[in-house]
Amino acid sequence: MIVVHALASYMATLCFAVIFNIRGSHKYWAAVGGMLGWVAYQVSLEAGLSQVYSLLPASILFSTWAEVVARRLHTPVTTLIICALIPLVPGSGMYNTMFAVVQGDTHHAIALAATTLGQAGTLAAGVALVSSVTNLVVKVKRRLPL
Amino acid sequence: METGRILHVASYAGQIILENGGETYRVEETIAKICQSYGVEVAEGFVTPTGIMASASRTPADVRSVIKRVKHRTVNLDKIARVNELARHNMKHPVGVDEFLQRLHEIDATPPRSLMVVVGAAAVAAAMFTLMFGGTPTDALSAMVIGVVVRWLTAKASGLGINDFFINVMGSAVITLMGLISVWLEVGNNGSLIIIGSLMLLVPGLAITNAIRDTLAGDLVAGVTRGAEAFLIAVSLAAGSGIVIGLWMEWMGGVL
Repeated sequence: MIVVHALASYMATLCFAVIFNIRGSHKYWAAVGGMLGWVAYQVSLEAGLSQVYSLLPASILFSTWAEVVARRLHTPVTTLIICALIPLVPGSGMYNTMFAVVQGDTHHAIALAATTLGQAGTLAAGVALVSSVTNLVVKVKRRLPL
Repeated sequence: METGRILHVASYAGQIILENGGETYRVEETIAKICQSYGVEVAEGFVTPTGIMASASRTPADVRSVIKRVKHRTVNLDKIARVNELARHNMKHPVGVDEFLQRLHEIDATPPRSLMVVVGAAAVAAAMFTLMFGGTPTDALSAMVIGVVVRWLTAKASGLGINDFFINVMGSAVITLMGLISVWLEVGNNGSLIIIGSLMLLVPGLAITNAIRDTLAGDLVAGVTRGAEAFLIAVSLAAGSGIVIGLWMEWMGGVL
């Protein structure tokens, strides 16, 4: 099952890299980032973490990957993060919220909206955390003659 | 070299980055970097997602400024990477301003991938997302067809200059309608999975990423603007989908 998830998320992210016009070998590296994020998310869900919290290990993993690979490839980190982030955007939460609204089930809709916002926030928090820590590491490395 | 001309070239580089989906702090940095590599030490840019304001001076008596309004935005990450690379390289090994401008023109004139390729990629992506969310192979097949139609439609609508929010409402309405029809024809099994898988083509991944990165860079105006953009895109997707589902429930009775 996890193999299907891995292959499908790799292909999906690769296609997004094509749509966003990434050229050359960079798109394959971006696709690996998308795969890592999605597999980490699925594993965290299996391990019993909540729908919101599972996104934290996932986003930390793919953004760390993006920061490391971007430096090797001498390309802006954003180009990799934009593609790798796509599978984790809470599109299903958004749809389910809307569905509950149309059915007139306000209580359910509010609960779903809170979960969806929480997911988006967690995703952002993971990316922000990794980016800040990377900046810190780079600065410390420059100060210390290693 | 004339300050005004250097500033002009630098802001053109910034414009390419902004138009193709770059962060605003990257635009500000690039403008300052290019000006400095040509010996204009005092150069600042103030950039929002919709425009660039930049000024440069060598002496207090000679202050130049330029404003560029960015109206049309697409996503072409390759151009961002190339302008970034060019500006960085220029810090160490400066080329003439004319040559620099010519290279910028070359980057700007590079055509994006053809519509056929992009439509094909969208089809595969939609199918894969449907599988990832737990859909069956026939669900994935339906999503593939939807991916082709939606990507083609949004590209054409964008070419006509229709605003982004209306394009998203329309795109998500088409996705939902086709998803419901696919289940109604008994091709697909899980309507909601087909619809969600295809909707992933329109989710605001770029706006979310830029909102995070601009906020971290201390660019609060751009960060909040991008965040609002992401939220508005999400709302317009929900609106398009909701309208169709509401009507379907009204006329066809029940749903999915």
